Amino acid sequence: MELFTPEVGLVIWMFIAFAVLFLILAKFGWPVIVKNMEDRANTIDNGVEYAKEAKEQLDNARAEAAKFVEEAQSKQAEMLREAAKMKSDIIEEARKEASLEAQKVMDAAKVSIEQSRKEAELQFRNEVSKFSIEIAEKMVRRQMQDSKAQSELVNKLLDEIEKN
Amino acid sequence: MIKKLTLFLSVAVIALTAGYVFAAPGNQNAVPSDTKIDKVEPTVLSEDELKQEASELHEEVAEPKEGVDVKEIIFHHLGDGYGWEVPFSHVYRIPLPVIVRAEDGNWFCFSSGKLTEVEIIKDEKTGKEVEELVPVIHEVERNGKTYRFMLAHVSTHANKVVEIFPLTAEEQEKTAELVFKTAKEKGTDPNLTPIDGYINVEGHFYREYRPFDISITKNVLALLIASVLVTAMVMGLVRYYNRKGFKAPRKGMGFMELLVDFVYTGVIKATLKDKAPKFAPYLLTCFFFILTMNLIGLIVIFPGGANLTGNIAITLVLAVLTFLMTNILGTKHYWKEIFWPDVPIWLKFPLPIMQLIEIFGIFTKPAALCVRLFANMMGGHMIVITLTLLIFIFAAFGAVATGGAVVISVLFSVFMLMLDVLVSFIQAYVFTTLSTMFISAAQESEHHHEEEHEEKEKALSNEVKA
Repeated sequence: MELFTPEVGLVIWMFIAFAVLFLILAKFGWPVIVKNMEDRANTIDNGVEYAKEAKEQLDNARAEAAKFVEEAQSKQAEMLREAAKMKSDIIEEARKEASLEAQKVMDAAKVSIEQSRKEAELQFRNEVSKFSIEIAEKMVRRQMQDSKAQSELVNKLLDEIEKN
Repeated sequence: MIKKLTLFLSVAVIALTAGYVFAAPGNQNAVPSDTKIDKVEPTVLSEDELKQEASELHEEVAEPKEGVDVKEIIFHHLGDGYGWEVPFSHVYRIPLPVIVRAEDGNWFCFSSGKLTEVEIIKDEKTGKEVEELVPVIHEVERNGKTYRFMLAHVSTHANKVVEIFPLTAEEQEKTAELVFKTAKEKGTDPNLTPIDGYINVEGHFYREYRPFDISITKNVLALLIASVLVTAMVMGLVRYYNRKGFKAPRKGMGFMELLVDFVYTGVIKATLKDKAPKFAPYLLTCFFFILTMNLIGLIVIFPGGANLTGNIAITLVLAVLTFLMTNILGTKHYWKEIFWPDVPIWLKFPLPIMQLIEIFGIFTKPAALCVRLFANMMGGHMIVITLTLLIFIFAAFGAVATGGAVVISVLFSVFMLMLDVLVSFIQAYVFTTLSTMFISAAQESEHHHEEEHEEKEKALSNEVKA
């Protein structure tokens, strides 16, 4: 049957047409298209990857910023606390110092009072001894000739006075 | 977009059907009719005896034909031709170059218009005058020799260009006797009985020689048009890329890219993996060439209408190319699997059962490719033509029958054409997929062949189911 027997002429032309078409497209057509499509796909993939990374980074940055803020806040709180502590410390110290100073002043005053008391005592003793001597002199002149007995007596008297 | 596409498709399909309807009556008269030969003037044949015998036989066998010759029209539509029909005119053909090599080795190139002539014939029944296309002998003088070419009708090479040589009176007689003998044996009309090596031209017998014929026929021109279309589509996309870089194409180009991606990523790369770039150009060319040929075959007027993929020569070349691609570039392992497959020893030695099956398989695979595409496309065309011809068959039964037949056959034709658009895509896809699988089966290497084999078998069985 005519339909089922291939025509030689048509076979030849088909072969030529296909060969030419194939050579043209295999050289200038398909590689360019396939390469372009794959490149575009890769670019898009890379873009998606990049966007994902960027988003991750952004999220990280946000978390970091939050961390910083928190840190700063805690620092601030600490600083405030420290300042308050320092204030109380200073006050305490000042108070302590003041009391120390006061103590010192009081001590000095005590010492000087003691000293002046001692001085006064010494002076007083001297005065007293002078008076006593004078008294004794007067008494001895009158009552006693023996100087020895006199000074013994004087010392005894003086000691008594001292004990008082 | 989809709305637009659907609208376009339906309009196209209706236009196509209309084209078929209008083109069909033209073709009914395209081939010289019997009447032409009946009114032959007395020739050498006109010896009384022979003539009587002829008329007797004529009455006995060849009933006068009424209406349309359905078979003739269908085969005319499916087959090739030296000119290209135009709608609304059944005598005018776009002339195409005929290139033939005569018996003595000389090449001839002439217009196909020289092979036919328009003749006005009076219809005996209706008395109307109709124009008809009849074959004439084209004579060429070269180097003092006359070459005669003709479009064969009553000959074993019907509808092909043949070179003819006049016979002497004696030879004429002998041939005529032979014709009548053959006709009587076969029970056919002697005026329409072809015998080997001789042609009957209106009662005259000539010796015929079928020259080597590489004419630009309708199918060849359609092939060239399809090639140009495919080149234009592909190079258009390439140009777009060169101009716009990475910008994704839209609309038409986008569809083109979608198809390329569909075939390349979905079929070629999925099957051939890292070997895809090596075979992609061949397979992609196959797909787009087949698809374009399928689709322009569905368009009925000029740039289309040639039943390309429904022609066995075309599918044969495609299948042979796949065969060559598969076997020439096949790996060692592929050949080892054929000549020493992994089967129990008694299956391959001493009787080479498996080898025989495998070698048989090498040839059946491309043969199946060839016949599948050919039969699918030819079947689609045949159904549409037959449905359209129903109108002319029913025309004999009156107006009501004709009206009903028109409605029904147009509806069915539209449906079939839509189905054919789908089939065009599917067949191009199937051809490419199967070619890819055959090629990939021949590209197997030792290591991962088992899993791949399984995969392929699975894919193949799916394909067969589809």
